[in-house]
Amino acid sequence: MRNKPRAFRVAAALAAVVALSACTVGDNSSTVDGKQEVTFLTFETPNLTPGYWDAAIKRVTAKNPDITVKKLVAPTADGRTAYAKQLLQSGQFPDVMIAVSPAGFAEAGNLYAWQPDELKDFLYPTANPINGKYYQLPANTQTIPPIYYNKKMFADAGVTATPKTWAELLDASAKLKAKGMTPFVIGGGKDGFASSMILSGLVSVDLYAKTPDWLTKRRSNQAKFADPDFEKALGKFADLAAKGYLDKSAVSRDYAATEQAFLDGKGAMYPMGNWFAANADTKKPGFEIGVFNVPTEDGTVVAPAYTGGGMIVSAKAKNLDAAKKFALAFQLDKEQLDASVKADGLFPAIKGYTLPSDVGPVFKAGYELYQQAQAQEAVVHAFRWETADDGLLPGMADKVDAAAQDLITGRRTPAQAAAFLDTEWSKAG
Amino acid sequence: MKHGKPSWLRPGVAITLAAVFFVPLYFVLANVFKPGDLIAKQPAKLPLPPTLANIEAVLTRPDRLFWVSLTNSIVVTLLSVLVLIVLSAMLGHYLARTRNRWTRALTLLLLCGLMIPPQVILIPITDVLRFTHLMATLQGLVLFNVGYYVPFGIFVFMGFIRAVPVELEEAARIDGASRMQVFWRVVFPLLRPATASVVIFLSVWIWNDFINPLIILGPSQGTTITTGIYRSIGQYQADFGSLFALMFLATLPVLIFYLALQRQFVKGLTGGATKG
Amino acid sequence: MVAQVARPATRPAPEETTRTRRRRPLGPALGHFASFAAPGVLIYACFVLAPILVSLGYSLTNYNPFNPPTRYVGLDNYQLLLRDDQFLTALRVTSILTVIVVIVPNVLGLAVALLLDRHGWLYNALRSVFFTPVILSSVVVSVIWSRLLDSEGPLNEALRALGVDQPPGWLSDPAVALYSVASIISWQMLGFCVVVYLAGLQGVPVELQEAAAIDGAGPVRRFRAVTWPMLAPALTVNTVVLLISAFKAYDYIKVITNGGPGSGTTATIAFNVLQTGFDANHGGYASAMAILMLLIVAVVTAIALRFLQRREVDL
Repeated sequence: MRNKPRAFRVAAALAAVVALSACTVGDNSSTVDGKQEVTFLTFETPNLTPGYWDAAIKRVTAKNPDITVKKLVAPTADGRTAYAKQLLQSGQFPDVMIAVSPAGFAEAGNLYAWQPDELKDFLYPTANPINGKYYQLPANTQTIPPIYYNKKMFADAGVTATPKTWAELLDASAKLKAKGMTPFVIGGGKDGFASSMILSGLVSVDLYAKTPDWLTKRRSNQAKFADPDFEKALGKFADLAAKGYLDKSAVSRDYAATEQAFLDGKGAMYPMGNWFAANADTKKPGFEIGVFNVPTEDGTVVAPAYTGGGMIVSAKAKNLDAAKKFALAFQLDKEQLDASVKADGLFPAIKGYTLPSDVGPVFKAGYELYQQAQAQEAVVHAFRWETADDGLLPGMADKVDAAAQDLITGRRTPAQAAAFLDTEWSKAG
Repeated sequence: MKHGKPSWLRPGVAITLAAVFFVPLYFVLANVFKPGDLIAKQPAKLPLPPTLANIEAVLTRPDRLFWVSLTNSIVVTLLSVLVLIVLSAMLGHYLARTRNRWTRALTLLLLCGLMIPPQVILIPITDVLRFTHLMATLQGLVLFNVGYYVPFGIFVFMGFIRAVPVELEEAARIDGASRMQVFWRVVFPLLRPATASVVIFLSVWIWNDFINPLIILGPSQGTTITTGIYRSIGQYQADFGSLFALMFLATLPVLIFYLALQRQFVKGLTGGATKG
Repeated sequence: MVAQVARPATRPAPEETTRTRRRRPLGPALGHFASFAAPGVLIYACFVLAPILVSLGYSLTNYNPFNPPTRYVGLDNYQLLLRDDQFLTALRVTSILTVIVVIVPNVLGLAVALLLDRHGWLYNALRSVFFTPVILSSVVVSVIWSRLLDSEGPLNEALRALGVDQPPGWLSDPAVALYSVASIISWQMLGFCVVVYLAGLQGVPVELQEAAAIDGAGPVRRFRAVTWPMLAPALTVNTVVLLISAFKAYDYIKVITNGGPGSGTTATIAFNVLQTGFDANHGGYASAMAILMLLIVAVVTAIALRFLQRREVDL
């Protein structure tokens, strides 16, 4: 028996298999049939389904037949920016990414800076500058958060007018609670932002209305979370929790379940980004939904909103021109804008764009609220949601959510929460 | 038998305990076959009449997430386990049979690998893989799996090989067989129980691995079963029917695999366990 | 008859010293190493040892891929870590989690194994029931349990139906969440311990049991004097596997609690390493955390192994 030992045969077979799979997966050519390939990082939510993205991509490639798009999907919706970082670090940075925060990427030279003439169709071409340049297409505006409310529960509790001042909001909450209703619906768990929505609103309407560039000051250490103004916002938020207006046991409830809880009538008020309007209109709960701005101390109108949310393009994209062309075509396509309004409740920030006539009532109410605030020049940035170099340091949004949860559960006092945020900020710097 | 207790006591207690233990699994099984709108309302109810709609929805997704993930998982698991068995059995044999200061040190170094959490090496592993142009490839993931799990393989194999009488090998060597032939023809067949338990554990671990395929495979090669489930939580966060169906389908292959190899596997554990 | 399985490993290992003491010429020895050992060792070195060294290197720098240049900072990261509240909290969280996950499945697993240590289809089937969670992915387990333990999930609904007004916030109460997560991991690992103990129990010679019974030993004494010592190797395997699984816990935390509720109440070191490295971009700091974690795991496992294997030798 002089035939070769089995190990060699096994090893040879394995080598062949590995080599074979190398041929099938190692094909990374960027042009296929003379078409320019662009990789595009998306994310999936109940509204933004795989079908939504495929249809959107197809609309653009149908008009630009020289481009083929390879869709990539981030493993989680709110982990998409972290995921883009992992991809960059592991050498797989996509060509085009949507709604990924440009902060960090841009400063390190990974992103293409848009030229003024490429931004001519956008309403706010100078939104979100990073070192004076513009990296993320300012495609849409989101108000974060308005407060949606259950009209039936308000009526049942005898709340006749929507609260304008903080005192009125506390009063309405007291009435709701007296009737055995939970005033606010909040969430958390793996979707920490659902815990910090009201806090974000409070900082925006109280602090940003007074000091619009507060975070810029924080970045240059001229301001601190422990400053009286910021701590006051933390205090108002903690007060809501202490009075029992927030459901403590909801801090582990994920975003989908939180939304469902409001639609099931488990609470009267739901502070959430205006993307909720899309679901409010399609899911049609058994009660009417209204919306009002986060109340201020004295009742003046202030609406927290953020314009951005669009696409960023890798400076090192293999087919940079195709990637730019795809991004602009995607963001300016009227049908795509209509689809994003309906699926995600976005306010497109494109010159000359008009909303489709069949938008739902909740969306419309929220849009009008925003238009009014805009007319009064009462729009401020939405704290925690900024994506440019006037935003939170990387990793800090999670800490804000955690601090909010600590206040809800009573684990920390406002002063302790402020100190915690300052400590974490110094580590993040 | 020899105890004075009633004979139903042991099976009774065992069945009750197992039933309590099984509740979470029942929760998934029942809801896989239940129409979506009933899951939220009656999570605990039996799925009567059962529906296959959830399973069908997952299997016929237009992006073929399940099938792509399944293919990736099968290829990665199969290749990794095959290579691991060959390499760790031979390495285990070498370490068990060549006992001197150097191999003892080498054994220690390899066994240390048993306790390395993947997080420790995840950030630099991407550097190594990029350096070798293996980032975002199935081969890269397979090689990483091999490196990461070789310690477990030799941990199990060494215990067994030490128990195989050396005389057997020496007799075969005198008959003129090469070292390689002796190992594969004489020793390896005796290691079947160890092989079975290594195969089962590694298959389960590699099949279920989450963070490594997520980072190493990246987004362009598609997902494995586990990263696929994680990703679809985003879309299905309100659609538990589809989510549970996907989880059920993802687990089915390993479950069948385990039940098929179960007998071998228990024998394998016995050998491995007693050697420590 | 599963109990009659050949158990080669329990026989005393043949003495090999005479064989290895023999001096062998270098050439064939190298050939032997190259063919049998080199491939495995090489891959291990490339994909495990080298990355650890790279990690160690990073941990001595301020490496941040988004904020170059990278410079050498010596042991600064380590000094910062020891004063970092979040890291110390993570250390505490990881310790509590590890203690629970090492003890609970071990104890319950032994109890269940003793219960199932009989022949017949029923016990085989029940063994499979207990083992099924082991083969599930931790993501699947996490999704199932976070549904079950939701404040309005099936468990709390059942408790309310039984008349409990304020059922615990299993995952939302900062004082409870960590224990819930530990219980979830214990649930998944229980079956592993059951199967390993069952395998060990099959190795307890029936004659020994019978001899003890003839000597008049009751079931408790028989267990302590005969069975338990024979289970020492199984205890070693279980403890080491549980220790390592608990230290590695990341997926559960990511899916179930995301480190919360609040700041770090369930954030393990493993979770913090990835958050710091990939969300906050602090590669150097995260590497220092990872290296400290490796040191802790290594020391704890080494102590546990030493202790447990001494028991084995004492037999």
